[in-house]
Amino acid sequence: MMELLLMKTATGLYALATALAVKYLFNRDERISLWMLRLLVAGLVLQAASFGVRLKDFWAIPENRWFMPINSFYGALSFLALAVAGVFAVVEGRNRLGILGAFVIPWALVCAAGAVGRAATMGGTEIHGLSPALQSYWINIHPMVLMTSYAAFANAFGVGAALLIQEHQIKSRKPTELCYRLPSIEELDTLNYKIIAFGFPVLTVGIIMGGIWAYNAWGRFWGWDQKETWALITAFFYAGFLHMRYVKGMRGRKAVYISMLGFASVVFTFIGVNYLSELHGYLSGRG
Amino acid sequence: MSLVLVGLSHKNAPVGLREALAVLPAEKIFERCREEGVKEAVVVSTCNRFELYLAFDEGQSKAPSWALTLLERLSGTRLSVHAYQHGGADAIEHLFSVASGLDSLVVGETEILGQVKTAYEKSLAAKMTGKLTNVLFQRALYLGKKVRSETNIAVGQTSVASVAVQLAERIFGKLTESTVLILGAGAMAELTARHLQSQKAAKVVISNRTYERAAGLAGALKASALEWEKFPDALKEADIVVCSTGSSEPVVTKAMAATAAEARAGRSLFIIDIAMPRDVEESVADLEHVYLYRLEDLESIVADNLKNRGGEVTRARELVVSKAKEFHAWERTIGTAKEGSLKHSEAA
Repeated sequence: MMELLLMKTATGLYALATALAVKYLFNRDERISLWMLRLLVAGLVLQAASFGVRLKDFWAIPENRWFMPINSFYGALSFLALAVAGVFAVVEGRNRLGILGAFVIPWALVCAAGAVGRAATMGGTEIHGLSPALQSYWINIHPMVLMTSYAAFANAFGVGAALLIQEHQIKSRKPTELCYRLPSIEELDTLNYKIIAFGFPVLTVGIIMGGIWAYNAWGRFWGWDQKETWALITAFFYAGFLHMRYVKGMRGRKAVYISMLGFASVVFTFIGVNYLSELHGYLSGRG
Repeated sequence: MSLVLVGLSHKNAPVGLREALAVLPAEKIFERCREEGVKEAVVVSTCNRFELYLAFDEGQSKAPSWALTLLERLSGTRLSVHAYQHGGADAIEHLFSVASGLDSLVVGETEILGQVKTAYEKSLAAKMTGKLTNVLFQRALYLGKKVRSETNIAVGQTSVASVAVQLAERIFGKLTESTVLILGAGAMAELTARHLQSQKAAKVVISNRTYERAAGLAGALKASALEWEKFPDALKEADIVVCSTGSSEPVVTKAMAATAAEARAGRSLFIIDIAMPRDVEESVADLEHVYLYRLEDLESIVADNLKNRGGEVTRARELVVSKAKEFHAWERTIGTAKEGSLKHSEAA
């Protein structure tokens, strides 16, 4: 219960941070940005504590010992919220780009609220024993690596959205206050690219690790399971983005559209595929 | 203790008079004050104002007119018609308004804050400050910052050239890696180039139909000159293009800009057309990654900014008045048994 209480509080803090982030977009008061970051970090700390409690409870089941508790929707969503908020705090917080909070923190809120909602429908935080196939050290690596890339892509999506707005602002020749609040086009473009340039190899490594685990568990490297297929589609979009950027010098609006398609694919891979995939269904409890 | 202010500003005194006072060294005023036993004096002297703040000990209080006479004698000019004289609460409120930029020619400008700071430091170095002036000026500087951060009084540039530079920064971020191409060698071209250089633009190239004029301006600006025939090629390298030639036909055509944009492989191109009649074909604005601003676009941004600043004056004034009241209340407790304290952090 403690785990859920901490998680709910963290979700509340993310909601407040989101509200402040939106307020900061239109209000030139640095204190708002400061409090946004503080609330976000407080949420991160509570979520980490919640995760600690989760580990303790999860490991109380003997066969789960030392394995990560992310074999369920609740586990995955809450971990993703933690990762999105964490990447934001590190990347944008460090670069003093608090203004991008309005575009990124909502994703942490959505994931955290999704986890809380899931717990409400399931009547708990989905702590149960791992199926034998999942009792492998790979569960500590493969999903974590992939979700790190998802968190990076969520951040890139936020940055891309800010870039579309900024480009429109300046192109219109009637820039509003927002134009002076947002980072420059080139900065946003570079940041978007850098985050994806980080996320893409992480995603690729995560997929390959999945293949190796699949080989160990099921005796095949690749089986065109829905999750595998969609992960590959996601990778293609981001590879396309990086290719167009490197080779063709594509920047700005069009590049953002490609990366956004990639993110749509991430969301589908993470959520939609659960309804299709037998092997990767959080819904079926198989992780 | 009591406070007195005598001053002249752009609002009521002609330039000649302000100049006569501006050359008056603060040291000379401090010297006279010491002779008269006045221990606290601060001189705020800028091209738009000259103000003398004096603080007296209890018992030796003098009227503002005493300070006025002092200034008249030192400068050898009659000032009375143009000068303002305030004592006590009014003097405090005046200094707070000045520091907040409410009394400036361009409302909210920030230069004045630095000037007030310098004035105070000069006085501090000359040991001409005391309890009242120390707290008063530190308070004024703090309030000046507070007003600018909590209201929008200092938001938005107020000249065409500075708006252009600000937009360039919204596109490229820092301009330290940006190349600037200036077409034309007139006054506006020079002004904009100087603004861009003040933001550390990496490289400035000037091209003009008459090469000698381009070379002349380039020499003055530490920029390089370029033959007119070569400028279309230079568009490929330039990030910011400032057009202000006297040509009656557009000099930058859509075809030219399209070729440049393609060669730039997605890097933004910012074209500022401040020429009348226009130097750049309107359809250039349709090109991807090309941002075209014309003189009227920049002027309407300036007008909006000035309007916004004006709208913030009331809010800023409220802050100034409330802080002045608070300070005055504190001032009256100095030396009494119930001397209060002022904290920077307390609520406005």
